Amino acid sequence: MSASTQRLQQLSGQLAGSESLSARDILLATRKPTDVVICLALRTPLAKAHKGAFKDTQLDGLLVPLLNAVRDKSKLDPQLVEEIVVGNVLHKDATFLTRASCVAAGYPASTAVSTVSRWCSSGLLAVESVANKIATGGIDIGIAVGAESMSTNPDNGAPEFPASFMADPVINDITQPMPWTAENMARDFNVTRELQDEFAAESFQKAEASQKAGWPDDEILPVTTRWKNPKTGEVETVQVSRDEGVRYGTTKESLSKIRSAFPQWPPATTTGGNASQLTDGAAAVLLMRRDVAEKLGQPILGRFVLSTVAGVDPRIMGIGPAVAIPKLLKKVGLSKDDIDVFEINEAFASMLVYCVEQLGLDRARVNPRGGAIAFGHPLGCTGARQIVTALSELKRTQQRIAVTSMCVGTAIA
Amino acid sequence: MLEFRTQGYNPYAVKYSPYYDSRIAVASSANFGIVGNGRVFALGLTAQGIQVEKTFDTNDALYDLAWSEINENQLIVACGDGSLKLFDLGVDEFPVMNFHEHKRETFSVCWSPVTKDTFVSSSWDGTIKLWSPTRNHSIKTLPVGNCTYSTSFCPSNPALISAVSSDSHLRIFDLRTPSSAKYHLTTTIPVHAPPAQPGAINPALGPPSAPGEILTHDWNKYRDTVIATGGVDRVIRTFDIRNPAGGPLSVMQGHDYAVRRLAWSPHASDTLISASYDMTVRLWNDGSAQPQNPAMGPGLGAQIGIMNRHTEFVTGVDWCLFGMGGWVASVGWDERVLLWDANMMMGQRGP
Repeated sequence: MSASTQRLQQLSGQLAGSESLSARDILLATRKPTDVVICLALRTPLAKAHKGAFKDTQLDGLLVPLLNAVRDKSKLDPQLVEEIVVGNVLHKDATFLTRASCVAAGYPASTAVSTVSRWCSSGLLAVESVANKIATGGIDIGIAVGAESMSTNPDNGAPEFPASFMADPVINDITQPMPWTAENMARDFNVTRELQDEFAAESFQKAEASQKAGWPDDEILPVTTRWKNPKTGEVETVQVSRDEGVRYGTTKESLSKIRSAFPQWPPATTTGGNASQLTDGAAAVLLMRRDVAEKLGQPILGRFVLSTVAGVDPRIMGIGPAVAIPKLLKKVGLSKDDIDVFEINEAFASMLVYCVEQLGLDRARVNPRGGAIAFGHPLGCTGARQIVTALSELKRTQQRIAVTSMCVGTAIA
Repeated sequence: MLEFRTQGYNPYAVKYSPYYDSRIAVASSANFGIVGNGRVFALGLTAQGIQVEKTFDTNDALYDLAWSEINENQLIVACGDGSLKLFDLGVDEFPVMNFHEHKRETFSVCWSPVTKDTFVSSSWDGTIKLWSPTRNHSIKTLPVGNCTYSTSFCPSNPALISAVSSDSHLRIFDLRTPSSAKYHLTTTIPVHAPPAQPGAINPALGPPSAPGEILTHDWNKYRDTVIATGGVDRVIRTFDIRNPAGGPLSVMQGHDYAVRRLAWSPHASDTLISASYDMTVRLWNDGSAQPQNPAMGPGLGAQIGIMNRHTEFVTGVDWCLFGMGGWVASVGWDERVLLWDANMMMGQRGP
């Protein structure tokens, strides 16, 4: 290139730079020592509850191998980890168990441990909790975990409320099962069974393609566990390294043959094929302040920018992402087109269809590796799992910004 | 307002002589400095208006110039071929010295105002070079590593050299330090970065800014640790080099395109003037006279005047050192040199 061409390019660069930078450019170009960054993101495979590889594995059997791997892979001195926050919904003694599991995984007593629950997005809440503490300077390094053993901890639904509570229709709605809210959405927003099956099949197909291409390999930690063979009754040691729920060759047509799971709630469009699966699994995210990460020589996979929550009407809790995502984007000044990957939890196809259409999202950018319909939704785990998956996908496709969102029982998103 | 046309040449820099209030020089280039010759105009202010005292032609574009501080007839120009050329108004046509070490366009040159026996240059080749006017080879080379648009001496301390570059940083070199691995580099200030301490973010300043090329900077003539910078992001910022992580002292926003050159007033410690691709010259008060609370983040400077008589990019601006203060020379790609009194555009602050 001649000197004159280069001079011309330099000048035009000085002029082009003068035009307002987009919010996305500014967000991507800004690096502050106080940024909250993610240095490691890892998860166990997701296994079918009651049937799969983790059916006889308690919550600690997921937590300990995962935290061990975080310690080993990060090569980070466990003494430096100031807090571990675990998102979990169902285990009734989660606070005891997680503290014990952290110690068992080699973290010292000086590493504080807590558990959080916001139902389905407990894993997200754990990440938010650690990230916000780092952002405000409370801690420098923390690990956020989401973990759920649905096989060994039954979901008993809402407790009994006093009659005065139940007189309030909103409170009454809170106590209702989640599939009821999914059917409400299908009815209120005219989401047909056909459309739900189409989205669900797409989730399976994306997950199948992703699994066959080996995309999730860098997010998944193979886990060895003990498994009781139901045929022989013998306990075997098995190694799990891939998500079990993905049914290859699933199509809209094959899903359309499945019987309605909840005929008592019209329009009865939700089936075992277009709702999230019951699953066991865990995911972990190592977070720290950017200057700390740089000093320790930790790789920086991504930056935690912002999180927000929004409450919605409990009877249609599935609209959550359609409210929370615009709220978040407005706060950071981005538009939906600035986002490369959306990880939206597929609690039910009816809410997924509604949210994607309401937000006007490009379906290719939503759950590009499939979602909970294809490989399951271990309640407390999924929030953290979506971050792990999104980071892996961003890395694979060399993209930059991901948004994750989920609808939550009792209607928070 | 006095006017002179640099017919056929687009000016890149203008400088008042440090010796005479009636002498100015303009560095200019044919074809907007993209391709072609350069020309230096030495101009005299006479009763008949602005007259050409002398011109010198060069084979490549000219981007900057500096008057000699020890010889009132000499000036040095920064040339597109990477050379620096010392011209003497008493010697026709050819430079009296040629200094050619930079491997890309020389963008900036500054004569030491204290010791007066050296000058410094910066280049697209990512280096700063320190020179003696009597030696063909540079005394020292300071690496920056990316296109260095502007370099300057501290007006009070001859050992301090500053530079701004395309990587959005302001660097300070102290020649008194040993030339260790850092080549005298003592301070690096990220111009776009907010203050290091959390909380000190002034919401009035909008979202954090992205790194952008810094095209120009100047040392305050009264507060010898304060430097103003300007560049592609259109924002003028002032910094105290004693607190490199403290973020800007004050921020001045208003230009619609990149700030190409700025100069602190030789007469007032809180006043500076800036030239921009938005075709305006603006006069600013940096707000330093008002008490400031550093915990609240940078202060907002105020625009106190605007001159919009240029009809193309304004590339050069300089203050006259003499008289009651306020006379300014500005040049732009409209092939015009304009001399005017900044007091006239200062509103209530004017006489």
